[in-house]
Amino acid sequence: MLITAGVDVGSTQTKAVLIDDSRAIRASAIIDTGGHISKAAERVFDEVLSTGGLCRKDVSCVVGTGYGRFKVQFGDIQITEISCHAKGAVFLFPGTRTVIDMGGQDAKGIRVGLNGEVDDFVMNDKCAAGTGRFLSNASETLNLTLDAVGELSLRAERPVRLSTVCSVFVESDIMAYLAQGKKVEDILAGVNSAIAARTIALVRRVGIVPEVTFTGGVSRNIGMIRALETKLGMPLNVSPQSQLVGALGAALWAMEHAESAVRS
Amino acid sequence: MRVADPVQEAKDLSETPVGRVIESWKSAHPGAKAVGWFPVFSPIELTHAAGMLPISIAGGGNQMEIAHADSRFQSFVCSIIKSTLELGLTGQLENLDGMIFHSICDPAKNLTSVFKRNFPRLMVDFIHFTQNFASPVAEEYLAAEYGRVRTRLAELAGTEITDGQIRSSIATYNRVRERVRRLQGIRLNGRNQLSAAETAALLRAGGRMMPEDFLTLLDDALRVISSRPGKARDLVHVVLEGSFCEQPPLELIQSIEEAGCSILEDDFELGFRWFKGDISTEGDPLRALAHAYIDGSVHSAVKHDLRYRKAAPLVEKVRRTGAQAVVVLTAKFCEPALFDYALYREALEENNIPHVLVEFEEKMWAFDKIRSEIETFVESMMFD
Repeated sequence: MLITAGVDVGSTQTKAVLIDDSRAIRASAIIDTGGHISKAAERVFDEVLSTGGLCRKDVSCVVGTGYGRFKVQFGDIQITEISCHAKGAVFLFPGTRTVIDMGGQDAKGIRVGLNGEVDDFVMNDKCAAGTGRFLSNASETLNLTLDAVGELSLRAERPVRLSTVCSVFVESDIMAYLAQGKKVEDILAGVNSAIAARTIALVRRVGIVPEVTFTGGVSRNIGMIRALETKLGMPLNVSPQSQLVGALGAALWAMEHAESAVRS
Repeated sequence: MRVADPVQEAKDLSETPVGRVIESWKSAHPGAKAVGWFPVFSPIELTHAAGMLPISIAGGGNQMEIAHADSRFQSFVCSIIKSTLELGLTGQLENLDGMIFHSICDPAKNLTSVFKRNFPRLMVDFIHFTQNFASPVAEEYLAAEYGRVRTRLAELAGTEITDGQIRSSIATYNRVRERVRRLQGIRLNGRNQLSAAETAALLRAGGRMMPEDFLTLLDDALRVISSRPGKARDLVHVVLEGSFCEQPPLELIQSIEEAGCSILEDDFELGFRWFKGDISTEGDPLRALAHAYIDGSVHSAVKHDLRYRKAAPLVEKVRRTGAQAVVVLTAKFCEPALFDYALYREALEENNIPHVLVEFEEKMWAFDKIRSEIETFVESMMFD
């Protein structure tokens, strides 16, 4: 049996997935990336192997992805996170034609083909609006954990409108609303709504074709899912493993490579 | 033969602050004058014919902080406009004697006035290129415009610029352009002997020297490059379009190549590749220059020649070079490039030519994002 791995070194978290040749996920792991990218890749790989009860020699091929993909020094191949998210999203939801990926420091729109190939893509540029960093700044200003943002925002009755989607200046908006006595949940719903609008505007550049699959760490935010669904007027595919989609896609690419090597 | 590595010499020169280049040239040529020319194309034969150094003044690259020009221009103006002004405001053009701008876009037009106001010592002029290429008087008009500029340059040089001197300059630049075409031919031979970044470095250096010196540099470079072993590599062959004015850092061009692209043809430093062939050295030289502009120049987003569909030359370039795809690399806020992108996109899709749009700024230091975009594009081609 072939086993392959995908290691996705993101700006905030590093993820790893092991799959076998039936395409079943054998193990996964997520750790904080921190300042030592190579070590984070090593640690997450060791952790996923330990969880899967495997050792390095059991793995036929490792694909590194994410912004730190070239720091996956034990990797056999490096593939961009866009190609990997496309692959992983179509594997989880075969009807996927558009992927919205919101990670720690970037946001992407990817239009995909039937087999998970990338037809077109767009990335945010020099601006953290639409990323986990924006939400993180907003939640810190409100003295909340990032994980609390989603559920709390769903309780909003009168969401506020933000005058900026700048990750720095949003703090001023939030402080102003707090001073006006606005409810925290209304502010959070306003934050999610502003970011959803910004992200959809970005993704429209490649065209939004259903089905739409939402991936990346921000997809854990139920408030963001609802905000995107409301503005798009369609449901989103969101997997419980949405944070792992890049690593999963990388493992799938690795499996294709390993199987091709076996055949030849 | 002058140096062991002319390509490295070109890189070094292209990265030397332009003020130092002018100072160095003038100290080696006491009493001689230097006239700057702004992209994309300028009839530098006129400057050279007067014995003055025609020097490309095309922004400050990624070596310069913009500390003054931001207060003069809006945030949505491209980098080259600001950094060119910054060169002047920080005293780096104090050895320059003249500056010529062209009708390429509104910011460049405005920069002319800003230069006149801020640097009254400089001779500043603006060439209105032909807008209506189909007009029967287009050539006559442009020749007259060149005549007006010749008069201004002659006043600056303090000497007459004769027809014979201009014809001689045209002949010299014809030789330069012939060598540049040979460089381009090497890029197309499939052996990867010469990168796009190296070509750009050579052309950038050429904009900072007299054509006679550039000829020597090109001859040395051609000799060295031709002797490189070279080999075919598994890369995606692309045409790169859109960087005709503001120039990306050489490291960015390298990043695109390292991401898996072999750039068969590009429009970096387009001024030296403006003409498809030699310019006539017979008869009225101003008329010859004007004729070449109207009937013998390549496509550029800053020309508005309605005699052909704007995207047609790009599609033809792809077909001619055998490229698999197009990378549209434009400077942020470059209106001519971004306006044309819509037309390019339509034509490329009509012809099933894959393409990707990426934007850059000359002052970039980190290239990870663009590299990821290009790698993804390459992957989408290779995994398809």
